[in-house]
Amino acid sequence: MTRRSTFVLLLVPGLLFLLLGFILPALGVLFAAPGATTEDIFSRLVQMFTDPYDLRIIGRTVGLGLVVTALCLVLGFPIAYLLARSESRWAGVLLALAIFPLLLSNVVRTFGWLVVLGSNGAIGQLSMALGLTDSPPQLLYTSFAIIMGLTQLFLPLAIVACYSAISQVEAGLDDAARGLGAGRTRTFWDVVVPLSLPGVVVAATLVFAGSVTAYTTPYLLGGSRQRMLATELYSYSSVTIDWAAASATAIVMTVLVVLVSGLAARLGRKGATT
Amino acid sequence: MTSRKPIAASLAVLGYMIMIVPILFVVAAAFTSGSSLRFPPEGFSLQWFEAAAGHTPFRAALLTSLQLALLSTGLALAVGVPATLAIHRGKLPGKGFIEGLFLSPLIIPELVVGLALFQQLIVTYRIDNFPVLLLGHTALLLPYAVRVTGAALAGSDESLEEAARGLGASPMRTFFSVTLPVLRPGIFSAGLLGFITSFNNVPLSLLLQARDTRTLPISMLDYVQQSYDPMIAAVSTLILAGTVVIAIIAERTVGFTRIFGGINR
Repeated sequence: MTRRSTFVLLLVPGLLFLLLGFILPALGVLFAAPGATTEDIFSRLVQMFTDPYDLRIIGRTVGLGLVVTALCLVLGFPIAYLLARSESRWAGVLLALAIFPLLLSNVVRTFGWLVVLGSNGAIGQLSMALGLTDSPPQLLYTSFAIIMGLTQLFLPLAIVACYSAISQVEAGLDDAARGLGAGRTRTFWDVVVPLSLPGVVVAATLVFAGSVTAYTTPYLLGGSRQRMLATELYSYSSVTIDWAAASATAIVMTVLVVLVSGLAARLGRKGATT
Repeated sequence: MTSRKPIAASLAVLGYMIMIVPILFVVAAAFTSGSSLRFPPEGFSLQWFEAAAGHTPFRAALLTSLQLALLSTGLALAVGVPATLAIHRGKLPGKGFIEGLFLSPLIIPELVVGLALFQQLIVTYRIDNFPVLLLGHTALLLPYAVRVTGAALAGSDESLEEAARGLGASPMRTFFSVTLPVLRPGIFSAGLLGFITSFNNVPLSLLLQARDTRTLPISMLDYVQQSYDPMIAAVSTLILAGTVVIAIIAERTVGFTRIFGGINR
C-alpha cells in the first residue's frame, strides 16, 4: 500500500461521520422533508416574507441580533483593550474570568436572569424597596431581557476575538503616536481601533450568528411574547409538526448566518489588503 | 489600570457585571431555605441540593449527558485525529477543501443540523434517538478535534518524523514514538473542549430528545417550564462547580486561556 492511499484511508471514517451526521441530512432539510415537497417548502419560504407575523419574527431576530452585536462590541472592545495593554498581574485573572463563562452551560447562565429579572427577583425587589415603583416592573419576557441574556452569552466571544487582534498591534505603536503628540483618545481611535479592525469584524460575526440562532435565551427570557426564529423552528418541528414551515425557517436562519459570515470574510480580506 | 481611562473602565465594569452577576445570583438562590426564587434569599439550607440529587429525571438526564459527552468526544477523536494526520502530513491534493469540509459543521446553525437529523433519521428512518444524538454530537465535535489537534501538528517540525523513518523506524513506530507525543497536548485540549461542548449542547439535544433520552440541559429547560423553584438553581450551582473543576484541570495542564480562548501568550 502506498503512502498516499494510507492517508486517504485515514480520512474515510471522519468523512463518513460528516456525510451521515451532517451533510446528507442538511441537504434533506432543503429539498425533501418528510410529508413536504420541495414546492411546499419554497412556497412557505415565500410566504414568510409576506406574512406580517413571520416578518415580525424575522425582524425581531435580526433587530435584536444587531443590538446585541453593537452592545457586545461597545463593552467587549474596551475590556479587551484594557486587558491586552495592562501590565498588572490581575489582567491574567480578569482574562480568565472573561473566558470562563464560555465553558459554563448556556442554560445555567441564562437561568441567572430569571433570578435577577423575575417579579420576585433582585431588580424588582430593589426598585420597590427604594420606592421607585409600587409593583415589581415587568422585566422578564421583554426584548430587554433577551438583549441582556444574549449579551451575557456572547460578550466573552467578542472579548476573545478583540483581545487576539489588539495584542497583535504592538504597544510600541501606541507609544509612538503619543510621543508624536496624539492624545489618548486620538491614539485609541486612529491607531488601536483601525489596526485591530479584522478582530472586530470576527467578533461581530460570531456574536451576530450566535444571537440569531440562540434558542435558550428567547425560550427562557422571551417566553411566548418575544418569539424568535429559533423558538419558531423548534415549535414547528416538535409541537405543531409543520415540516414545510420548519424547513423554511431553517433556510432563512442558515442564509442569514452564511450571508453575514461571507460578508465579514470579504470585509476582513479587504481590511487586510488596505 | 483603570484610573486614567475612565470611559473604557466603566464600560468594562458594566460588561463584567453582565457576564458574572447573574451567575452569582443563581448560587445565592440555590442555598435558600425558602420555596421560591425570591430576593433576598430567605435563610440558608441545603434542602434544594438534596431535592435535586433525589429528582429521578435529573439523575437519568445526567447519566445520558455523561454517556453522550464521553462517547461523542471519544468518537470525534478516534476519527478526527487520523483525519488531521492525513490533512497535515498526507500531502494530499485538495488539502484546503478537505480541511474546510471538516470545519463545515461550524457554519450551519446547530438547530438546523438538529432539525435535519430529526427529520431525516428519526422521523423518516425510525432510528433510535440515542444513536442519532451520538452521530450528531460527534459531527459537531469533529471541527474542534481537527482544528485543535491540527494546531498542535502544524506547530511541530515534520523533519523529526522523517528522521525517525530515515533511521529505520516503521510507520507505526514513528507514529507512536514521535508523532503521538507531539499530538498529545492537542488531543487532551480537544478532548476537554469536546466534552464541555457536548455536555452543554442545547440545539441538537433539544431536537433529538425522546422521553427516555434527554440530556441534563434539556431536562432543566423542561423543568423550568413546569415549576419555578430553587431546585434548578441548585443543579446550576453543581454544574458551575463541575465546570470550575474542569477549568482548573485545564489551567494546570495545557493552560486555560489557550484551550478555551484559543489565546497564545
